[in-house]
Amino acid sequence: MTKLDFIERYGQENEPYICASCGNCTLVCPVYSELKWESYGPRGKLHVVKSIIEGEGEFGKDFAHKIFLCNLCEHCTSVCTTGISLDRFWEVARAEVRERGLLPAPAQFVLKSVKERGDIMWMGSADRLLWMEGIDELVKDRILKKAKVAYFLGCNVSLKSQLHDVAQSMVKIMDYAGIDFTLLGEKEVCCGAPLSWAGNLKDINEMAEKNLSLIRELGVETVVFSCPSCIQTWSEYSKSVKEDKSIELLTASQFINRLIREKRLHFEEQPMITTTFHDPCISARVLKATEEPREIMDEIPGVYHVEMNPSRQNTRCCGAHGLLDVVDPVLSSRIAERRLRDVTVTPATRIVTECPRCILAFDLAKFTTGYEMLVQDITQLVEGALSPKEQGGGKDH
Amino acid sequence: MIYSKDVTSLPDLAHQIVSPRFDVVTQPVDVLSLQNLIIYAIENGIPIVPRGNGTSGWGGAIPTRGGLCISLSAMSGILYFNEFESAVTVETGITWRDLLAFLERLGFTLPVYPSSATAATVGGFVASGGLGIGSTRNGDILKQVIGIEAILPNGKIVRLGRLLLDSKTDPLREKVEEGNSWLSEKLSDAGLGSPEQETKLFTGTYGTLGIITKVTLKTIPNLQLIPFSCSFDRMTDLVRAADRILSEVKPYYMRFLADNYTSKLRALSEYENESGKYILTGALLDTIYQNEDNIEIIKTVTNEEKGYVLDDKRSWFYWSERLYPLRIKRHGPSLVPAEMLAPMNMLPEILEKTKAELRNSKVAIEGTLSNDGTTSFMVWILDDERKKVSFTIGWYRSFQIASLAERFGGLPYAVGLWNGRHARKFYGNDSYKNLKVMKKKLDPSNIMNPLKVFGGRVTIGRESMLLGFLLGFIVTMIGGWLLPGLLNLDWLNQFLSLSLVQFLYFPNLWLLGLAGGLIAVMIIRFMRLSQALAIGIPILRILSKLLRR
Repeated sequence: MTKLDFIERYGQENEPYICASCGNCTLVCPVYSELKWESYGPRGKLHVVKSIIEGEGEFGKDFAHKIFLCNLCEHCTSVCTTGISLDRFWEVARAEVRERGLLPAPAQFVLKSVKERGDIMWMGSADRLLWMEGIDELVKDRILKKAKVAYFLGCNVSLKSQLHDVAQSMVKIMDYAGIDFTLLGEKEVCCGAPLSWAGNLKDINEMAEKNLSLIRELGVETVVFSCPSCIQTWSEYSKSVKEDKSIELLTASQFINRLIREKRLHFEEQPMITTTFHDPCISARVLKATEEPREIMDEIPGVYHVEMNPSRQNTRCCGAHGLLDVVDPVLSSRIAERRLRDVTVTPATRIVTECPRCILAFDLAKFTTGYEMLVQDITQLVEGALSPKEQGGGKDH
Repeated sequence: MIYSKDVTSLPDLAHQIVSPRFDVVTQPVDVLSLQNLIIYAIENGIPIVPRGNGTSGWGGAIPTRGGLCISLSAMSGILYFNEFESAVTVETGITWRDLLAFLERLGFTLPVYPSSATAATVGGFVASGGLGIGSTRNGDILKQVIGIEAILPNGKIVRLGRLLLDSKTDPLREKVEEGNSWLSEKLSDAGLGSPEQETKLFTGTYGTLGIITKVTLKTIPNLQLIPFSCSFDRMTDLVRAADRILSEVKPYYMRFLADNYTSKLRALSEYENESGKYILTGALLDTIYQNEDNIEIIKTVTNEEKGYVLDDKRSWFYWSERLYPLRIKRHGPSLVPAEMLAPMNMLPEILEKTKAELRNSKVAIEGTLSNDGTTSFMVWILDDERKKVSFTIGWYRSFQIASLAERFGGLPYAVGLWNGRHARKFYGNDSYKNLKVMKKKLDPSNIMNPLKVFGGRVTIGRESMLLGFLLGFIVTMIGGWLLPGLLNLDWLNQFLSLSLVQFLYFPNLWLLGLAGGLIAVMIIRFMRLSQALAIGIPILRILSKLLRR
């Protein structure tokens, strides 16, 4: 028998025995779909853990690497016939990998970067202001201002230039709707999600708290996110969020949909845009926010929304979640390409989503596949369709 | 290892009679590559076990003599659908979930599919048979099979019943003609009908006569689906209500959950009308008008039988849970399967008896109601395989439930590996005789899913061999030492008093013991599954009783 400390410490030691080997998880696993080898699928990996516990296998480098060949996309968890929270299990298994010093180099880099720089890309707090270029007027008085609503961008949106437009769109929407909102600016740090992906479960609460203490000081009641993983991390790992339910965490589409229902947003006719919505794994399977983006698209005149198959809770992962994009970029890209192929069988010319990782993955896969389609965040679609402020918009209209 | 087990875990002791793993796992992608694989296996005498996704618990897809596991999950195409013929033809590796998704997009659904539909393959369920979602109106899965294509253990491809395909794009036509004419001869030799009439040779027989590669299934229009659920304080009330609902409404699906099942479902803990109660749940699949009338009947019947009708939200919850009965496994974490087919009116009595017999075990009971007055009575015996001794002894309870079924005029739910000794009763005397005749004709070297359904010689493990040898050795030694005195024969006493025999007394006794040990090993080597179980089950029963004390 081999003792797996972390698995026991986090109460996961029964899970390999609960597994009924039905294979539901393997059938939906994006990594297994590409590699077609049982030991890369969830069922296979769970059995390897079981054999390690029983002293028949070894927790070596090869298996440690396989633990990281996973998107943490929650699909296996959502279909597990015995109700195992497989994604939590993989996170704990990653902690075990870290404890044994077998962490893949990219994961080590992410941990170091989050710890020393407060972001995932070894940049720095000053770089979190770069996205504001061109909209200085809209944001200049917003940073660390006391307000009921806060916009939390997350590392990807604030630091990656191709996603700056997502943040700008969100700010423009809020301004249009007359929302009194605040930004954390250079005080914003990583939400902590990459820590769980890289096997450091201990420090997530501290990371979340750095942001949350600021948010509380500003009197915020609602936090709007551009990245669903940030919400999931705070909901699962932040002690204060679990205890204090007074702060509401919303995805961009949940917030925008609310603005539309409150008649704060008005749209102008679009020139026949056919869109399809890619449900990000976390917002669909964990946050269950599948209807809001669709309701938003239904509200925009001239936007025709078609469904992809699979969609909603059965959505296929973009391949970029859970650090797979840095641990095995080629595999990650192949998974994204598969998802883009789902789009090609629809009449849609535009794929809309609400996760920065999905956008980055699809942008890359567009190049590798040569597919002609526009990839947008829901905020970009909404912002582009707003009618000029003189004609409508704002609370007063 | 994953391919060498099904949803249950076997105790280590079981591996003394069946091999713990396959030698090779293969995944053919088409019929011709599968045919080549079978021919290779015949030529080399390698056992073959066809496998879907292993979602059953009866051992039909596990290895018994090592050999080849043929996983059919890569053969998963939908080949033909015709709404006017209400039929769909698929490759057997497709999951029921994918087939349902395909049909539902076209406004159709299946008359019956398994509760493990999310992962179970069409081939797996058709090859093992059984009740599922829809059985309350449409009976078991075997009644839904219109035609099948199978590869026989000699590599010939045959089609039985009415397999619907686009004849213009059928690359196997010539091979099938050859295979069918060969099979016709064998069938007529055995006094059976034509291939069109004998689909039952391959359905419900666990691939022991051939591997099913294509199936044509019935489809039905996907009319309005309305789930319903009601809770009862007593099983007798539930059964009375179920009986009336069955005769007055004919629901598409109806299932019961016993009190020991609902008390273990974490999702029910907040619902005092459900947790620890007896739940009757199911769904109507009919026109809007018919459903409106029927749902009123269900409400009336439930109230009259002292039940409580649950709201729509709860009914939809139970409808979505129909595909996740294994959630109960968390209370184990391991599972010992025990299921029977019992007459519905006997349910309360069987339930009480089962509870009494398994009073020291953690159990959860549920079942599906069929349209012929029978019910599947599933006893989830929850155990922990890490506690090696109690888990091994606890397996006796599975056989205990099979015996209980017999006492109440029921049957084990499935044959598979472990219930082979009930096969004659399960299939019916004549049908079983025909199956045996055909098994000899089609698979004379018994390489196709050996030991399943028909039993056969088991592969005894080294530990059992050693134990057998020691037993034989000791028994013969003691016999050789005591017997002459007990028999008190003059000639034997004279012979034993010879000085040479006296001198070599102990070496001779030793040699006698050795011979006894070897004879015991030979007996064990030729032991059949039924004999091994006949010895093993009483031992487990005794140990179980001792342990309970």
